[in-house]
Amino acid sequence: MSDNELIELEEEEHTSPLTAPTFKRIVGLLRPHWRWMVGFLLTIAATAGLDSVFTYINRGMIDQGIGHKSVDALIRYATYYGGLQIVQAALVFGFIYLAGVLGERVQYDLRRALFNHLQDLSLSYYSQNAVGRLMARVTSDTGRVSSLMTWGLLDVTWAIVSVISSTIFMLIINWRLALIVFSSIPILLVIAVNFRKKILVEFRGARRANSKITGEYNQNIQGVRVVKALGREDENLNEFSALTGNMFNASYRAAWLSALFLPTVQIVAAFALGAIVWYGGTQSLTSSFSVGDIHAFVSYLTFMIWPVQDLARVYAEMQHSIASAERIFKLLDTAPEVRDRPDAVAAETLLGEIEFDHVDFYYEDRNPVLTDFSLKVRPGEMIALVGPTGGGKSTIVNLLCRFFEPRNGVIRINGRDYTGYTLESIHSRIGIVLQTPHLFSGTVRENIRYGRLAASDESVEEAARIAGAHEFITGLPKGYDENVGEGGNLLSTGQKQLISLARAVLARPELFIMDEATSSVDTLTEALIQHGMEALMKGRTSFVIAHRLSTIRRADRIVVIEDGRIQEQGTHAELLRQRGHYYRLYTQQFRYEAEVKYSAEADLSPVAAD
Amino acid sequence: MATVSPTIPYFDFRKAQTPKKLVGLWRMLEGYRLPYLLANLSVGVSALAKATTYILLWIFADTVTGNFTPFAGTLSKTLIYLAFGFVGLSMVEGLFAFISGRLAAYSAEGITRRLRNFLFDHIQRLSFAYHSKTPTGDLIERVTSDVDAIRSFFNEQAIGVGRIILLFVVNFTAIWFINHKLALASIIVIPVVLLVSLWFFKRITKAYEAYQEQEAKLSTTLQENLTGVRVVKAFARQGFEKGKFETDNWEKFRRGRKLLGMHSLFWPLSDIVCGFQMLGGFVYAAILAINGEITIGTYPAYVGLVVWLIWPMRNLGRLIVNTSTGLVSYNRLMEIIKQEREPLTEGRVRPEGPVRGELAFEKVSFTYEDGESEVVKDISFRVQPGQAVALLGSTGSGKTSLIKLLPRFHDYTDGRILLDGEELKDYPREVLRKQIGTVEQEPFLFSRSIRDNITYGVGRDVAQEEIEKAAKAAAVHEVILGFPDGYNTLVGEKGVTLSGGQKQRVAIARTLLKNPRILILDDSTSSVDTETEAEIRSALNTLMENRTTFIIAHRIQSVMNADLILVLDKGEVVQMGRHEALLAQDGMYRKIYEIQTRIDDELEEEIQNYEL
Repeated sequence: MSDNELIELEEEEHTSPLTAPTFKRIVGLLRPHWRWMVGFLLTIAATAGLDSVFTYINRGMIDQGIGHKSVDALIRYATYYGGLQIVQAALVFGFIYLAGVLGERVQYDLRRALFNHLQDLSLSYYSQNAVGRLMARVTSDTGRVSSLMTWGLLDVTWAIVSVISSTIFMLIINWRLALIVFSSIPILLVIAVNFRKKILVEFRGARRANSKITGEYNQNIQGVRVVKALGREDENLNEFSALTGNMFNASYRAAWLSALFLPTVQIVAAFALGAIVWYGGTQSLTSSFSVGDIHAFVSYLTFMIWPVQDLARVYAEMQHSIASAERIFKLLDTAPEVRDRPDAVAAETLLGEIEFDHVDFYYEDRNPVLTDFSLKVRPGEMIALVGPTGGGKSTIVNLLCRFFEPRNGVIRINGRDYTGYTLESIHSRIGIVLQTPHLFSGTVRENIRYGRLAASDESVEEAARIAGAHEFITGLPKGYDENVGEGGNLLSTGQKQLISLARAVLARPELFIMDEATSSVDTLTEALIQHGMEALMKGRTSFVIAHRLSTIRRADRIVVIEDGRIQEQGTHAELLRQRGHYYRLYTQQFRYEAEVKYSAEADLSPVAAD
Repeated sequence: MATVSPTIPYFDFRKAQTPKKLVGLWRMLEGYRLPYLLANLSVGVSALAKATTYILLWIFADTVTGNFTPFAGTLSKTLIYLAFGFVGLSMVEGLFAFISGRLAAYSAEGITRRLRNFLFDHIQRLSFAYHSKTPTGDLIERVTSDVDAIRSFFNEQAIGVGRIILLFVVNFTAIWFINHKLALASIIVIPVVLLVSLWFFKRITKAYEAYQEQEAKLSTTLQENLTGVRVVKAFARQGFEKGKFETDNWEKFRRGRKLLGMHSLFWPLSDIVCGFQMLGGFVYAAILAINGEITIGTYPAYVGLVVWLIWPMRNLGRLIVNTSTGLVSYNRLMEIIKQEREPLTEGRVRPEGPVRGELAFEKVSFTYEDGESEVVKDISFRVQPGQAVALLGSTGSGKTSLIKLLPRFHDYTDGRILLDGEELKDYPREVLRKQIGTVEQEPFLFSRSIRDNITYGVGRDVAQEEIEKAAKAAAVHEVILGFPDGYNTLVGEKGVTLSGGQKQRVAIARTLLKNPRILILDDSTSSVDTETEAEIRSALNTLMENRTTFIIAHRIQSVMNADLILVLDKGEVVQMGRHEALLAQDGMYRKIYEIQTRIDDELEEEIQNYEL
């Protein structure tokens, strides 16, 4: 959690100037909803204009009504005022609703476009971009862009119209005084923008400090056993207090800068007010400067402060929002590395010969993971891939699934280069079970049905039975309707594995791929998983990244992979006789499994029973 | 031994415990009451200055229209006074607004810092029993969002409500000063505004929560999709995923629209109510002016004042609704604060130097606080300083529970344990824990540098050479040098991921530096990483030298050389003695031993089969 937050914070630091192409694309986002945009721009502009009209009406009330002691005039102006009040209320309703809903809509559009595009991007993109970054793209970046285009645009429009309409009315009343007031605006703006930027920096600092505090809480609670065992409480508090100190400094500074901001702007305005009083007062002796005029000027002046404030805020935030927009566009412009060729055809079956022909692969340049890899697999054959971590086993699986494509060499299915097939036709025929099984929030049933969406409840249960998962599922309080929690967290690893097996069974794949779990599950679950796998592999070509002896022994062929190359291959017996890599791996695993098995046995049969 | 720095802002929030929430919040203010009250007072001064500005405007307007001559002398002189008056008042207003903001932030942030420090410390000092039953996520939620709610209670809501009330009092008084009837006529709708805003904000808050909830759901869907990208692709479920995201995304849009709908109703509605109130006031004031009951110059002053009387009221409802959040958070935090801490320093026996490490268990039994049956039953044995004791048994046999009694993570419920002849319960926990080192099979490492993890809890400054010496002895020095930043490499998500064996050796190095007299080695699950096993074993042997050692194990190899082996089953010692003696007995020990030798025979046999 706090890691994602740190990524977000780091990215928020970026600013970009507005360039023409970016501007065009940002505007392009609004095109489908231009009516809404025109609507809120008109309503906010009218609202801002009316604000200065109210002041003008007040001036009328004073000069025509009170000044001439005319109740008629008073009533007339009051009627205008009341009528316009109702009009303005309708306008306020309009701009809040229009801008707000438009903002939500633009965010919705952007998120949909990003998410859909992410679905099409290749695994290579995912391996280069941390999930936290992609999350930030879809969640916070879209928020910043949509609010710039709605609330930001709204604030700017409001501010500009307010300033202009106030200025016009002031010019009408007294142009000399109007110029005095107007001259204060640039000063106000410069002060406000600088303040805003400083405040923004402090706020970011506070958020950064805050996410560090959360991280520290998290660590200390999770490692509380260690803390207690080592008696490190006092030192921890000292260190933590330094973090809260940073937080205090940043947020205190942000707060008092904010507190200083408005008074500063107001004092500048007060000088303008002083000028009005002095100049306007002297003028009233010689010309006709009325009480209504004074009132109007004072109101217009105070009126200037808020728009200037808003302009400064939007300006300070705008550059960050543009950086967000550019990141979004960059993602949308990324073309998927693995995609259908224009002349791709649907594969009819994957149950044919599969051949890796002198395949090279690297994730990053100059760092080969697989070198000159060749392997021919007959339909229905079961291949066990064994070898140390990082040797290249997962890469073989990734290539086979066409998550990646070979950098050199060819992979053929049924004698044809598999890049000539459509991705959909390959993927829909593959069943995959990963080492760390991934489930989605929802029920057990929904997770199994992921394998074949159209499957009936009966088929789901049948698949679960085949995979050996039915028993434990029916033992859950709500059975198949039990919620698995976020990422399946409410289930044990073994249970998650059984469900992902059932999911693969339901998919009725022609090619089955499994990355066996290394983490130990209890013996009963283990037996169930073995049983499920056996059922799945029947009549299918299968590749298993194998760790367990029972799996390895069952394989038609064992391929030992180390340093991106095939070191040995053959049947269990052949390889044992060679007394090479496989022999070492096997004896090691044998001892391990036997120990686990026997210590479990020893547990089950207490001495007294002997 | 490290101590808490005296300069750390710290306050014992247990003192603030009371069923009356507002009283409790007042108590939390201790030490900040003066600045906080001054902050509120400054708001008042600032409001007063603003109101006075309008009074000055009144004088000005009446002066220029010749209704009033306050100062003797020429008019232009009066105007200069007035001009300076405006600037001066504005400065006073601004200065006090600033002082108020600064003091409020100082108090609120200060209280929050103390609260954070206290909670951090309090949580790490709560008992094991509390930690084992409380999910981390729940605690984190409370110490972050609930603390933040308290912060905004002091920084925004309490001061905001105070500000609105003061604005009301000052401006009302000023208008009252102008004309009593006018003042009364100006506040007719205030109760209405208040009620309407309360009504709306209760609903708006609810709608906002629903909106946020959907945002969280959307973000879960997104995260699951991104982390499960291989599954999505392997099953060619892109279309399905798009549909799922679309549903959540649309629902969020819908909830956002609903929330905005409420906002777009509330603001214009309250605009109309407030607007007509003001208009009524304007007309009434104008009529009073026409009738000569007030001067013409009073009118613009009134218009300026009444704005500050009415508009802030719209926000009062929002603040009151938000205040209730602060009160709920107070309760949620108090649930943590009221928990009893583990007393670390309580105890009579404080040996000058290190203990010798002689231990005697006499009929020790232990039941968990919320447990029903004894997990450790009537165990007695003795250990001489420097000896090694091995505990052998299956999961649930009680060996881990027995060991947890030594550092007093839990206290035995029956019998007694003597350390150097003194009962364990008479030693303060902190003393015991300094004397006992634990190395788990897969220890928890912190997201810090490897160096920090090695020196973690050692409690003194350690030179780099000493760290490296310990790392070498723990057979982890070479591994560390292989990492990109050596000893400065970060551990965890943002740095390197260490294997179980590597983590264990880091913990061994740490324990070597700590140099405890009593050692606990948890070797209860067997490691797959056989290549490093020999290295770990020799590192462990170095560590065990001259220390009283307890080994938790389930394999014969790890216990064979112990001075005393206890075989446990269901909380009881079923066999006790040295390896040779136990082997001679017909019992569980021999059975486990036989199994291990059988494995070698079987392997040989299997390979022979294929060799034929």
